[in-house]
Amino acid sequence: MTSSGAPSRNKVLSKIAGNRLQKELTEWQRNPPTGFKIKVTDNLQRWIIEVMGAPGTLYANDTYQLQVDFPEHYPMESPQVIFLPPAPLHPHIYSNGHICLDILYDSWSPAMTVSSICMSILSMLSSSTEKQRPTDNDRYVKNCKNGRSPKETRWWFHDDKV
Amino acid sequence: MNASGNKSSQESVGRARCEELAKSSSFYRKVYSEIEEIGWEPLRRLGGDLTFFSFHILDKKGRAHILEIQLNRDYPKSPPSVSADVPYMFALEWSTTSSRLKDVMHQFQKHLDNLQEFWSVLDDIDKSLCVVDAKQPSRASPVRRIHAGNDCILIVHVNFNDPKSLPECRFIGHMNNLHMLWRRNSKKWSMEKSFPENLECILGTELPRPQGLHDENDQQQVDCGICYAQFLPTDEELGARSGTRTDYTCENMSCNKSFHSLCLTDWLRSITTTRQSFDVLFGNCPYCSDPVAVKINNMNRVNKTNQS
Repeated sequence: MTSSGAPSRNKVLSKIAGNRLQKELTEWQRNPPTGFKIKVTDNLQRWIIEVMGAPGTLYANDTYQLQVDFPEHYPMESPQVIFLPPAPLHPHIYSNGHICLDILYDSWSPAMTVSSICMSILSMLSSSTEKQRPTDNDRYVKNCKNGRSPKETRWWFHDDKV
Repeated sequence: MNASGNKSSQESVGRARCEELAKSSSFYRKVYSEIEEIGWEPLRRLGGDLTFFSFHILDKKGRAHILEIQLNRDYPKSPPSVSADVPYMFALEWSTTSSRLKDVMHQFQKHLDNLQEFWSVLDDIDKSLCVVDAKQPSRASPVRRIHAGNDCILIVHVNFNDPKSLPECRFIGHMNNLHMLWRRNSKKWSMEKSFPENLECILGTELPRPQGLHDENDQQQVDCGICYAQFLPTDEELGARSGTRTDYTCENMSCNKSFHSLCLTDWLRSITTTRQSFDVLFGNCPYCSDPVAVKINNMNRVNKTNQS
């Protein structure tokens, strides 16, 4: 499997990153985003988040899992966010769980939070009109065979409608 | 002329318009005189054709309510329709020959009196527990969603006829055994205790307190928008910056985010759009995208002040 190779290369969180994540987690528990549930573990560096498809969309009643891995210098760098298998069928989500969404890569800013990422992903799912893989899915997934992180991909964000 | 000269200009415009209209038709004349009976002070809004208005009314505990009244063209043959932020509306008693708008006001006032205990319970919940979406709590809804900690939310349904009685209660999220405790201990509910006290007694746990809105604002001004801390951690790597406060504020007044210049520098250095001129980094605020400029070597300055 390709999904969880990268994080082992991650260094432990810096003090600043640890403090900030602790606060994000507290805020999440105080005010959790609707449709998401965090699986409680004692590993602050990897969050597993359950996503419930929004009612009235193609993904209603579906449940998926997101794996969020934080780099040593979070939030200067974006977290790595992927879907654990089985990833939802969506024109911007590859079968290996990688997500083509600009805020996870080039458009990341420390003003964003795990909670705001989750909301963007849910809105991306909700606006989809058909359940299908990206057209270049097979080629892309083959290129990632050695466990490459989606953050090493040079992404083209061509379609902001879905 | 009226002797009390403290009417707002809006009211006097509304009033002038009504006086003008009152001359033209018996409908307007009647409505005008009925508003006059209530007084202009509580009138908040007025539809141009005098068929819609809203009144501002205080109840016994000083809570403000808005009563909206809509009139039909054949008023007073058909009774006015009324709406307000209440859990249920009173049945309007209306006589086509003798009832007037002031009677509507009186009946509404009585209705408010009946609901005092219900709102006292809601206020108590909103004030002392951590309510979801608490910024604009509704007076009409008997439902409150309350954070119970550990990802669990408690949904209580206060009975407006008997607000101090045991409420209906559901749990969502990660509920541990709270719902079991609820079922087992619900006979411990006491009309003598306050609502929050009862909840905590039954669930055998302390519920989270609300975060005051004031506190939150103050926090935002001092916490760094990047690392979320007011003080940098004490860390050898940070040298003289260890434990220092936020020292940079975005100049855009509507943003006004605070940062540690160290955090902002780290962020600006990590993206490719940042430009450097001598020892100043030019980039954009991560929150509002307005231009920011940070000096990068004021590390030395901190050292010097420490030594002197």
